[in-house]
Order: sequence, then C-alpha cells, then structure tokens
Amino acid sequence: MNSGSANLWPIIIVAGVLTSFIVVGLINKSREGSDYLFAGRYIGRIGGGAAIASNWMSAASFLGMAGLIYLKGYFALAYVIGWTGGYVLLLVLMAGQIRRFGKYTAPDFVGERYGSSTARIVSAVVSIGISLIYTIAQFKGIGMIFAWLFGLDYSRGLLLGAAALVSYVIVAGMLGVARNQQLQYFVLIVSFIVPLMYLAHSLGYFWLLPQFGYGVAIQDLAREFQINFSSPFANGTPFEWVSLCFTLMVGTAGLPHVLSRFYIVPNVRDARWSVAWGLFFIALIYWSAPAYAVFARLMEASAGMPLPSGAARDMADIIVIKSAVMGQVPAWIVGILAAGATCAAFFTSAGLLITGASSFSHDIFYRILNPRASESTKMAVAKGATLVLAAIAVFCAMKPPGMIAEITATAFALAGNTIFPAFLLGIWWGRANGYGVVAGMLTGMVITFAEPVFGRFIPLVATIFPLTSSAFCGAPIVILIIIIVSVLTPPPPEAMRQFLAREVHGHLEE
Amino acid sequence: MQHHEEMYDVNPFKPKVGSMVDEVAVIVAILIGWGLLNFGFQALLNLLAETPTGEGVLTRLTFLSFPFHFWFTGQFLPLWFVLLCVIFNLYTDRVTERHNRKRNRTYE
Repeated sequence: MNSGSANLWPIIIVAGVLTSFIVVGLINKSREGSDYLFAGRYIGRIGGGAAIASNWMSAASFLGMAGLIYLKGYFALAYVIGWTGGYVLLLVLMAGQIRRFGKYTAPDFVGERYGSSTARIVSAVVSIGISLIYTIAQFKGIGMIFAWLFGLDYSRGLLLGAAALVSYVIVAGMLGVARNQQLQYFVLIVSFIVPLMYLAHSLGYFWLLPQFGYGVAIQDLAREFQINFSSPFANGTPFEWVSLCFTLMVGTAGLPHVLSRFYIVPNVRDARWSVAWGLFFIALIYWSAPAYAVFARLMEASAGMPLPSGAARDMADIIVIKSAVMGQVPAWIVGILAAGATCAAFFTSAGLLITGASSFSHDIFYRILNPRASESTKMAVAKGATLVLAAIAVFCAMKPPGMIAEITATAFALAGNTIFPAFLLGIWWGRANGYGVVAGMLTGMVITFAEPVFGRFIPLVATIFPLTSSAFCGAPIVILIIIIVSVLTPPPPEAMRQFLAREVHGHLEE
Repeated sequence: MQHHEEMYDVNPFKPKVGSMVDEVAVIVAILIGWGLLNFGFQALLNLLAETPTGEGVLTRLTFLSFPFHFWFTGQFLPLWFVLLCVIFNLYTDRVTERHNRKRNRTYE
C-alpha cells in the first residue's frame, strides 16, 4: 500500500487525543477511585447507552463499514442492518435474563448454567478465538492509519501502531487510568460527523444533517456518471445478503464483550433502556458511514475514475480518511477524523486483548492447568497472555486475509455459531444440558471454518457456509444439535432448572 | 418424585401462567416486526426485480431524494430497530409493574 509524506497535524492531534484520555482518566481515578475496566459510579440510562455504543464502535464500524459500502454499494448495507438489528435480538431474548442470571462473561455463564467444566473450556477457547479474530481486524485498521499518518508502508505502519497500542495499554494499566466511555463516545461521534459536515458542505450537499442529506449525491452519481451505486443485487445474491445480515445479527447477540455490558447500570430496567439508547447512538454513526462512501465515489468519478482502481481497492478500508483528504478538508479536521478512528481501534483492541487474556488466565490456566495459582500468578499470566495475543494478531494482520469488516464478520459468525445458541437455549430451555452444548459449540466451530477447510473439496459447503456468513445455516443446525443431544442425555442439575424457572423467568411471581 | 412433577422446566413454547406468558407474547410480536420489515423487504425487493441486479419499481421510486430501497434499508431499518427496542421496553415496563406490585421495586 502507499507510502507518502508524513502528515504532521494529524499526528499531533491523534497523539493529543490519546494523551488527553489518559489525563482525564487520571483525574477521574483520583476523584472516584473506579477501576480500570468498568466505571464504578451510577451513569444512568443515557450514560449506559453511550458506554454500550463506545464499547461497540471499532475500526470495523468507523472505517471498515464505509470501505465496504464504497466497494459494494447496497450489498454492504447488510453490515449496517446486521450490526443494528442484532441489538433487537440481544434486548428481547437475552438482556434482562442474563442480568438476572448474574454471570456476565461467556465462559462463566456457560460453565455455571450447564454445570460442565468442558463446556466452560470450549466457550473460553471460543471467546479467545473471537477476541483474536476481532483484534486482527482492528490491527489492520491501526496499521493502515499509522502507515498513512507517518507516510510508511503498511507493514511498518502496523508494527509502529501495534507498539503504540501495547505501550498505551501498559501505561494506562500502570497508572490505573479509569475508562471514561461517555467521553469516548462523544469524541467518536464528533470526529465522525464534523468532517462529514465539512465534506458535504464543500461538495454542495445538505450539510446540517449530512447522514440524511446524501441522497442527491447517489442520484448525481447515476445521472452524471452512470454509476448505479444503489443497485440491490449487483454485488451479491439475495441469499448472500440475507445470510450475511443474519450472521451479523446473531453474532452481535452472542459477542462476549457485548454481553458483558449489562452490569454497568444498577438494575434490569436501566439495563434494558441503556440498550435502546446505545442502539440509537450506534445508529447515529451508521447512518453516516454510507455518506462517506458515496462522496468518495462521487469525487473519484469527477476526477475521471468511475470505478475504484486496484490501488484504490487496497486503500478502501481507510476510505473515510481518504475521502476527507480528496475533498480538501483542512488538515486539522482530517486529524480529528484520524484521531477518532485511532481511538475506536485502540480501545476496542485493548478491551479485546484484555478480555481474551483474562479468559485464558481465569478459565483455562486457573481452572484447569493450575488451580492453586495465587492471584498474582493469575495476573502475571493474564499480562503475558495479552502480549502473546497481541503478537499473534500482529502476525496475522501482516497479510490481512480480507477487508476489516469481512475479518470482523468472521468473528461474528463464530460467535453466532457457538455462543449465541449456548446462551439462547441456556436461557430459554431448562432441559438443555452440558453434553448438548459441548456438541453444539464444537459443531459450530467446525461450521465457521468449513469454507476454508472443506470448501475446496466440497463446493456445496462453500455455498451454504460462506466464511463471513456461516451462521445463517449454521446457528439453526447448532441449535438443533444441542436439542437432540440434550434430549438423548440426562437432564441438567435440578437446582439449575429451578433457578432458571424461579429467578431468571419467575422473577415477577410471588 | 412428587417434587419432581411440580418442577417447571423453562420452555418458551409452553410458558407457565403469569408473567412469562406476557413476556413471550411481546417477544414474539417484536421478533415478527423485526423479521418482517428486514427480511421481508429484501424478499419483496427480489420479487419486484426486473433485471438481474435487482432494479425495479422500488429502486426507481425516490424518497427524501434517496432511491426508495436504499433509504428503507440504510436509514429506516436502523430507526425501526430503535423503535422496536423502545416499544419492547415500554411494554415490559408495564408488564413488570402489573406483576410486580407486591415486590420491592428496586429489584427490577
């Protein structure tokens, strides 16, 4: 990918924003003494929603989504729909019940609900796998941003960015910086919308609400340049659209770091309402992402490039930043945009690396390898695992296997094929047992990676289980397997079935 | 064994009387609204397609200067999902209040 000159103002702004998060975190810490991962004070429904949204916003939302829409038009709207519609599933099927169950990490819930340490290990392995795949996508984003910032080639940008990320995590951890997710959301939304307003204004489109005013630009593309950007099935069949969309939805409802968001508010009712606010805050950004893609195509078409060239395709994942540069947005505003993207990628990968590492330390090392380990040993293992995971992710991101949003979609497919069925049946069917869920989750893992492993020999597998969209056919199969195996084997412990009936679902009875 | 017969197994297709019936009813209603407008619209788009790439009456119509299908999927559906969440929460708040009079409100 390209190497040009370094962009001084954007570098200064990105560094400044990252530093100010540390400063604000230190002020918060001395005032409230909250811990690193979760703010300890009452933040209310809107605050909880902002926390959900900022926790969710990653390089895939901030960069990858616009990149795919830029290349694939209407087809890529499946990402917009999948990543918003999943919250409806999460809210109506799981949010309240998980909150009442009282276990918030996937291995904890699965281990406790099914009373099976095998199930706990399988879901820990799956969680670590999801964190890792997700982090690879973030690292691709970080690599591309840093390459652009410093005018390096991609692999050097990746190494520099990963080094910056790891040092940031270490410094923040050593100083005990509190994470202010409300401020984080504010930075993300401002840094995404303000450059878009400028861009819309300078191109002569409605700029006050740029996320709703770019319709004319789609028509201009069609009228002036004969580019049919909105053509529904030009880049994928209806089956591909629906299976991708469905996969992203069930993946959203099964993603471990999303599920664990329900205990930053004090009760079930506030948890429910914070999901609704969170979805609204997410939608504010998702309404805007297609506008960047449309403006980019429009500017390229005016410059005599109706179709993205090969070089432009390679850079599609940072089309958000590129379109701001093409539109001659002032350097400091581009800097704000780059800072938002860096924050999204940094905080998401930091959270994922820590989640994955603590899952390894707690669910695998402590529970299986060394049950007598002390707290300090567990902590040391977690720190080591963070570095190992980061190193693996950098290695895999060196030759990125796809677009940011596509890599992320694979993580969603894995979540939708394993954790979603385990939670869904765990909550809604008292008879589901440990044997069933282990069989189901193992099948789900095989299904997720069926295309790259078996696709070459059995073309049908590649058709019904595409890597980014395997949960459309996969999740129902896994659910069926859990049901069949559960019925054929002894029921789960009676105490758990009563707990489910009385506490998780019978909470309103006397 | 008598105790065993009394025990209720959670099953959404056989909800026990009381709050869970209401709970399952609203969940089913929301899921229908969720699936119909999203997957149903894509099916309709496919049904009304006149060319292999899916052009048809829905892509020719414009709304707020967007091609209608693009507006519906890219802008209306996320809004619809937010609305579904709000409807679900309002309804669940009401059900909770109806069934929860005797309990300490801080529990919910």
